Amino acid sequence: MQVVVSEKDGIFICRVEGEIDINTAVQLKKAFDKLIREKRDKIVISMEKVSYIDSSGLATLVELLKNFRKYGARMKLAGLTAKVKSLFEITKLEKLFDILEKEEEAIKAF
Amino acid sequence: MAVQGISESIKMPSDIKKIRKVIARIVDLLVERNVDKSHMFDIRLSVEEAIINAIEHGNKKDKNLIVDISFAIDDEKIEVAVEDQGGGFDHTKMPDPTTNGNVLRAHGRGVYLIHKLMDRVQYNDRGNRIKLIKYLR
Repeated sequence: MQVVVSEKDGIFICRVEGEIDINTAVQLKKAFDKLIREKRDKIVISMEKVSYIDSSGLATLVELLKNFRKYGARMKLAGLTAKVKSLFEITKLEKLFDILEKEEEAIKAF
Repeated sequence: MAVQGISESIKMPSDIKKIRKVIARIVDLLVERNVDKSHMFDIRLSVEEAIINAIEHGNKKDKNLIVDISFAIDDEKIEVAVEDQGGGFDHTKMPDPTTNGNVLRAHGRGVYLIHKLMDRVQYNDRGNRIKLIKYLR
């Protein structure tokens, strides 16, 4: 699992690639430490290349969302594969997250 | 041509890092049977969640304690039983993670997902053994 972060007009686009499971969820959390420390307030997590996520991965995304919200940052998810998206639907996390079909849509939505 | 049914049993220490090898074996058998990717995702996730629960909540991460995984696959279905050496838990008392009060909680979705993704889920009376059944066709 890897996260590549880029910035455009104050929006931080974090492209996640690989599998988010109990072994990699900590890495995912760490990848966002700097953005949280620097209080970056517009975040897009692009998940087009995330092929697998388990409950640890979902837990990490919930924690990230709560951490961003603490200082008023907005975080959007984009590009979820059908299977990953279905887990957000089953767990009702779709109500909690701002989920956009494509990365570009998420960027434009700020 | 139908592939013959197979059953196996793996005993693993209560070490999260060892889960991958067990999952890889099960996934290999599913690939051999051309099980579709969506089913494969559901089975992998459910088995992983069951083993994580066995390690973390059942065996309390004690690496001296064993998690026993036995599985049987044929053309019709896969059955996977995961047993830990703990005192067991009452699955009927698990909070619903989708309610407004719980949805913001970071944890507590594993068992819920298992029940949603598998066709049948059974527990022994003690609550330290979970059996997952998924129909493949």
